Order: sequence, then C-alpha cells, then structure tokens
Amino acid sequence: MSDDHDDSPIAARVRELEAVLEEKGLLDPTELDQVLEAFAHKASPANGFRVVARAWVDDGFRARLLQDANAALPELGLSMGGGLQVQRLHVVENTEDVHNVIVCTLCSCYPLSLLGPSPTWYKSPAYRSRVVSHPREVLEQFGLTLPGTTKIEVWDANAESRYMVPPRRPEGTDGLGEAELAALVTRNGLIGTAAV
Amino acid sequence: MSERYRTGDRVRTSTVDPDHHTRLPHYARGHVGTVVGSDGVHPLADLSAQGVQVPQQVYLVRFSARDLFGHGDHNVTLSLWEEYLSDE
Amino acid sequence: MPRINDVGGRDGFGPVRQELDEPPFHADWEAHVMAMNRALIRREVYNLDEFRDAVERTMSHESSYYENWFRAIRTLLEEKGVV
Repeated sequence: MSDDHDDSPIAARVRELEAVLEEKGLLDPTELDQVLEAFAHKASPANGFRVVARAWVDDGFRARLLQDANAALPELGLSMGGGLQVQRLHVVENTEDVHNVIVCTLCSCYPLSLLGPSPTWYKSPAYRSRVVSHPREVLEQFGLTLPGTTKIEVWDANAESRYMVPPRRPEGTDGLGEAELAALVTRNGLIGTAAV
Repeated sequence: MSERYRTGDRVRTSTVDPDHHTRLPHYARGHVGTVVGSDGVHPLADLSAQGVQVPQQVYLVRFSARDLFGHGDHNVTLSLWEEYLSDE
Repeated sequence: MPRINDVGGRDGFGPVRQELDEPPFHADWEAHVMAMNRALIRREVYNLDEFRDAVERTMSHESSYYENWFRAIRTLLEEKGVV
C-alpha cells in the first residue's frame, strides 16, 4: 500500500511528511505496512457477525457476552486489543421492548476490531448531532421504523468504552447454522441503525 | 481506587464550559442522571490532553432525553469521569 | 462556547447521508494518515487525547475526516518541535 501513485496535492503532502518522519527515525515504512495489513485483514464487521450468530445459538455464550464481553470474545479468537490499547466493550442487546443505538457525539469512537473501519455517515455531524436528541427521526432516515412502544437506548461512546448491538434474531431462522445466521447480520445492525 | 458513587445514585453533571479538551459533551452539562454502572479507571482526558496522567473512576450515567433536551422518550447513557459529577 | 466537534443535540447539519458500498478508505493517503497517527501515538510522540485535542482545535466541518486528521498531526508535530 505504500507504493501508491496518487497525485493529489494532499497525497503528496502525506508522502512528504512520511519521508521527514522516516528520516528522523520516528516512522518505519515496514511498521506502517504492518499497521495497514493488520487493519485490512483483522478489523472487519465479519467479526461482529460471528459474535452475534454465536450469541443467537448459544445461550451460555450470550450470557457471558452481555456480562463481560472482553472475557467472552476470546472464545471466538477475538479481542478488543487490536488498537492502541485494550478497550472495554459493552454489548447491548436489542429485545422486544428495547432498541439500542450507538454514537460518538464528540468524535468517532467505534469498535474497529469487531466492525472494521467506520462508515463516513457514522463520523458525520449530521448523524452525531441528531441521533442523540432525535433517534426515531434518524432511524427513519435509515429505513428503520420502530413501534412507539419500543424504548430507545442511545449509547454515547464519549470516553474509553466501545459498544456493539446484537440485533434480534429474525423469525423463521430456527433451522439455520451459525455461518448462515452470521450472513444475515449487517454492519448497520451492529450499530443499531438497522433491524438486523 | 474507591468509588464515590454506586449504581442507582443520582448525580449532577458539571456546568463548567472548559477552555480545553473535555469528554463531557455540552448537551449533558448541568443535568441529573442515574449511575448505571462502573466503567473502569482511566486517565482523565482533560488532563491527559495536556500531557498529565491522572487516573480516575469513570461511571456509566443514564439520562432521560426529556431532561437533556426537553423532549423525547428515549434514554442516553454516557461514560463520565468522577471529576464531571457531584451529588444531586 | 463548546468546541466545534461537540455537536450532540445541535441543529442544522441536515439529514444523514449514507454512501452505498463505501470502501474502508477513499484513497491510499487516508490509510497512510491513519497508520501514521497510530505509529506516532505508539511511539509516544503524542498521546490519543493530545491528538483529539489537536483535531478539535484545527478541524473544519468543510474538510474531510482524514484531512482534519492530517492537519491535526502536522499541528502537533510542529508544536512539539518534531518538524
């Protein structure tokens, strides 16, 4: 990824700064490639999909996940330690009565290792400003209309913890295996802006 | 580190508008919420942004939208350092 | 006055726009900015809170996310006398 030939002015400025930092010994090109590799291959919403599918089929795992997600993730070979520091993960489950939605109103905090790089809309002031005060209106913009009786819980990831939402398991999926169930889950579902 | 607040306690957030980095959003200042859990001990972000590391208890605090915004039937939960909180 | 990043509950940003099939990065330089920032924090040239503070002091809602990051990185490196 370091041998790109993007000729935009900002790409040139980024390359320039990289060169200066390398000269000063503050940046090692192989280290940069390692970070990019790790990011490209390890941080993916497929991780989150697997976690949800397991929680749907295994009540014991589900209970452990809700109780202490950081302790439960290693059961699937996952962790919250892919970033700069180990972050605490809170798994907040949707139920018949409660719908959870995640935001970071101050910047863009997001569980990268489980959901991959965040979409631009998640980082946009339009989402961050409004979902905290008018969640029903914002969820409608995503095509998600909740019954008036559903309680909405908004989680502002404003400090050191991160959140993930296991959606409700769709009806009529009793016969499906874990991999098939994982394929039903979407990235937006894990943020709370989609039903699944 | 001893925790000043326990789950179920009612707490009031600071009204201070600091002239430095902070993790207490403007919309949650000067409101009363309920502690719903502990969120670990972390360096206070306000000071860490100035290069000073002072670990402090963080709490999960839940507010009703009606209290925060004057409308809405949802709740909003944030992670707040003890520094931002006082007794109701 | 709350800082420019502190948008929770504020009006005027319009509806949320989703980009269908959005790639993780829109250009290689964005990935490089992300990786450079991680490397500099890992080497303790600055910490994550100093970085967030620098973003808040220098960002603009008219700039893209990673343009704001790059500006903040440059600002911190200049302030710390690194470049």
